[in-house]
Amino acid sequence: MGVPAFFRWLSRKYCSIIVHCMEEKAKECNGVRIPVDTSKPNPNEVEFDNLYLDMNGIIHPCTHPEDKPAPKNEDEMMVAIFEYIDRLFNIVRPRRVLYMAIDGVAPRAKMNQQRSRRFRASKEGVELQEEKQKIREEIFQRGGYLPNEEIKERFDSNCITPGTEFMDNLAKCLRYYVADRLSNDPGWRNLTVVLSDASAPGEGEHKIMDYIRRQRAQPNHDPNTHHCLCGADADLIMLGLATHEPNFTIIREEFKPNKPRPCALCGQMGHELKDCQGVAREKKGEFDQFADSPPVSEQEFIFIRLSVLREYLEKELTMASLPFPFNFERSVDDWVFMCFFVGNDFLPHLPSLEIREGAIDRLVGIYKDVVHRTGGYLTENGFVNLERVEMIMQAVGVAEDNIFKKRKEDDEAFKRRMKEKKKRLKAEQAPAFLPTGQFAPEALGRRGAPQPIHNARHTAFEMRMQGQDQRNKDAAQSLKALMRNGNQALAGSSVGMDPRGQKRKAEDSDSEPEPEDNVRLWEDGWKQRYYKTKFDVDVGDDAFRRKVVKSYVEGLCWVLRYYYQGCASWKWYFPFHYAPFASDFKDLKDMFTDFETGTQPFKPLEQLMSVFPAASGNFLPQTWRALMTDPDSSIIDFYPEDFAIDLNGKKYAWQGVALLPFVDERRLRAALEEVYPDLTPEERKRNSLGSDVMFVGRSHPLCDFLIELYRAESKEGSEIPPELCHGVQGTLNLDEEPILPDKPVVSPVPVLRDIMQNSAIGIKFKDPQYNEGYVFKAVILPGAKIPSKVLKPGDWENSNRGPWKPQLGFNPNRQQAHLDRSAFRALSHSISRQQHRDGPYSNAPPPGSYHQGQHRPRPHGGHIPSYPNSRQYDAYRGPHASYNPPQPYARLQYSNPGWNRAVQGQAAAYQQNQQRAHIAQPTYQQPQQRPHQQPQRHEGQMGGQGPPQGYLSGRHYPLPPPSGRYNWN
Amino acid sequence: MKEKKRPQFRRMDDAVKLDNCMAAGDIEEFIQQNRQLAERIDAYRSLSETEKHWKCRREFILRNLSDYQDPQLDTLLALSMVWANNVFLGCRYSQELLDKVREMADGIVVEDAPVFKTRDEIIKQQQRR
Repeated sequence: MGVPAFFRWLSRKYCSIIVHCMEEKAKECNGVRIPVDTSKPNPNEVEFDNLYLDMNGIIHPCTHPEDKPAPKNEDEMMVAIFEYIDRLFNIVRPRRVLYMAIDGVAPRAKMNQQRSRRFRASKEGVELQEEKQKIREEIFQRGGYLPNEEIKERFDSNCITPGTEFMDNLAKCLRYYVADRLSNDPGWRNLTVVLSDASAPGEGEHKIMDYIRRQRAQPNHDPNTHHCLCGADADLIMLGLATHEPNFTIIREEFKPNKPRPCALCGQMGHELKDCQGVAREKKGEFDQFADSPPVSEQEFIFIRLSVLREYLEKELTMASLPFPFNFERSVDDWVFMCFFVGNDFLPHLPSLEIREGAIDRLVGIYKDVVHRTGGYLTENGFVNLERVEMIMQAVGVAEDNIFKKRKEDDEAFKRRMKEKKKRLKAEQAPAFLPTGQFAPEALGRRGAPQPIHNARHTAFEMRMQGQDQRNKDAAQSLKALMRNGNQALAGSSVGMDPRGQKRKAEDSDSEPEPEDNVRLWEDGWKQRYYKTKFDVDVGDDAFRRKVVKSYVEGLCWVLRYYYQGCASWKWYFPFHYAPFASDFKDLKDMFTDFETGTQPFKPLEQLMSVFPAASGNFLPQTWRALMTDPDSSIIDFYPEDFAIDLNGKKYAWQGVALLPFVDERRLRAALEEVYPDLTPEERKRNSLGSDVMFVGRSHPLCDFLIELYRAESKEGSEIPPELCHGVQGTLNLDEEPILPDKPVVSPVPVLRDIMQNSAIGIKFKDPQYNEGYVFKAVILPGAKIPSKVLKPGDWENSNRGPWKPQLGFNPNRQQAHLDRSAFRALSHSISRQQHRDGPYSNAPPPGSYHQGQHRPRPHGGHIPSYPNSRQYDAYRGPHASYNPPQPYARLQYSNPGWNRAVQGQAAAYQQNQQRAHIAQPTYQQPQQRPHQQPQRHEGQMGGQGPPQGYLSGRHYPLPPPSGRYNWN
Repeated sequence: MKEKKRPQFRRMDDAVKLDNCMAAGDIEEFIQQNRQLAERIDAYRSLSETEKHWKCRREFILRNLSDYQDPQLDTLLALSMVWANNVFLGCRYSQELLDKVREMADGIVVEDAPVFKTRDEIIKQQQRR
């Protein structure tokens, strides 16, 4: 979902869903890098079975990173991608399946968004290039220095689209990568790898969903598989919920706002392109030894636990006294459905529903209100009940008018606050103090020599007195101003009362001019103006309005079906740039029946023709490219050179709606018919629809079976014996150019070596097939165990179970690290004496308060949340500080509701925890008295053997269990 | 729309020789008399086109139909879309192409055409700040 605000909202509201990743770093010894052994237990104290990679979320940051210099050529990009996957693999350590999905050809519904992104990206790229050139010349004219422009073509990120040569190369490289890791990495030894490259149709995350859906509908699926899905899109959360798998976790990069970026010209940090001075690089460190290390910390990862989100949702959605039995799983589906109103990749969001304005809370409120009357849920297995949806929409529609008015008010208030803040900052910029009299600063080069100072003491005294006076006056004035402004804000008028009106005006003029807004949703007649401005129709044109609503309703049905059942129609799309109002959703009942069946996806090159601007035509064959530029081409109207952007109330071009024409499929196909013969065999291959490929290593039980298949040269597809592959099913077909054991794999990247001793085997893989019309059930599978609760039960206070101890990681019985006496001795030996007692962070209470009895002596020292190291100083105070206090840190409470803190309340606690872990040796220690509550799932699991002693030393690990899975609880 | 005398069309040839000075009212008349042709052209109306937009584009097509007979019909449709996108959606194409379609559309009356700002204009404006 292209809604970054959604994740922000979610993580703010449901903060316990986030767990920071523990990452074991590779160590270096005498310059030799020792790779991490990923067959060891997962440092996150949880074991994942399947890891799914939505590869486009990896390809983009690796090919054109925002926070570091771009890779020089394609080979470097590939290596960066490999390293990124390695890193993820090290964190997640999947034990059964690694599924890599690259975006293939997308459904038509997605194409409008792709088109608008690519048209914009192409323009942005050209603009950046031009600006660079301009500034470069300016700098050279001033005599500045810039590193030589490397001889490299501008990387057009548009080539990350199925059908381009780049994607083809990438697929080859990934095959090599998989073969290499399966042959050489112990963590991959028992893994099944599936690679779905760009030639297989479907968006990456939806190919993954299709895989999960089709696996869990067959009887051999393990209902307790722990899935981990990698990707930053907010809709992955919806998709994960839609699977109804109880163990589902998402891993993504932690979003840190305002990360510094290197200058695009000189590659140095600390300034932007437009401020580049072209000065020589400063030495980093005394001997420039830090030259290559970026000043920012490495991007970190977080887990999003959907099982915890489900707990939250259960608390929120559970309704008592319904006229029908409450079913949590169904209400989750309804929740997912309602989130689509707020934004998704396939439909513009309703004008009245903004996620930042609490649209989802509003919807949930309405839902709980209305569901009593609807007589049932809004959706079932991805099919929508339109009559009930209408009731929800009508309830939103009633509030629409007020929402718009409120939005305007909030907007005004925000602007006012920003203005005040700006003013305040400006005032603070002036020097706080200027010496006067004979000390007053004088410009250099004036006539006469500087006068000698007389009676300095007295002047200083005068200045001091004056300053005090001035401060008092200032304070009085600012207080007055504050009161005056406060009144103005209340009265709503700001004219004429301000004596400094003149100056105010000057400030106004440098604030940015408002984008003009002809719709003015907050004024009466908004609906009329909206339809007139956005659609160019009169509000009386009911037929047209119904057409928009009908398309939107179809869209809602399509999107939900897409999430729960797979792509219902490759052809369907929403043919407008804007959404209707909620109040227009009337008489929906018969608006939608079903989608056209048997539709086919575009071919990769056809898709390129329909999403690329003419400027990216270089990715297409000559004659195809000509269709984008030739004035006599019969599809020339798809490729405008410039297009209108409706800012739609936003400030920047990239936030607005790009008004691009829609592609006429019939005309596109007709035009391509004539140029199809011009394709080379290689292009024809790139244009064909490909298949997923499965890889296993030699020690995988399936390997011998595959070797047999190749030996028998069987032409028909064969089913995977489920017992060989953890219950995974699917059809196997021989690959034409297979990767086979003992057959060397040639490296497609010059800097990497060929694999001479290959032990991987690859074969075409097809998901299990079901009859047409088969409905995948959106239910928890029988035999699935719901993970133990993480959130504090609502009745905890009444239960006398002592203070609540929040869970910080995956393991509910996480062992707290602690120092023993010898460690304290070692520490206090190496810490200087002064710091020991009287250091600035000593937490001896102020004497007064202690004697007044207001200070409650704390057994293990107080703690100062603002100073992250306080923990250590407490600890150093002596061996008597017994050290197993879980509560104070875990119960960190911030009064500040700002989002960073609120969200990270747990994180902060967690970091302290981590710090402690650094003091002690990180141990994979398991709880000593571990309740044997979890029945075993596999033979050979470590489950019942008690804590593995080897872990305590942190050094000798036992061999991984045969199933490849450790048990953490 | 202005009131005026309407020329009568009997044959297809007459129709496609529509004079440039003709206005929308005449097109209505023409369509009345050539039902079949009109229906065929109506099939090219796209889903998102409003009545107003379609009327104008239909006129564009009918005016130029004679120069673009069947194998070229798609080219005419493309040109009509170029023109309509330019007028109703704010798209800009190469000058050559725009001049061409404007000439072809000469005489079509578009009532209060919407005003747009293209991306380039917005960027230029923001850079100036």
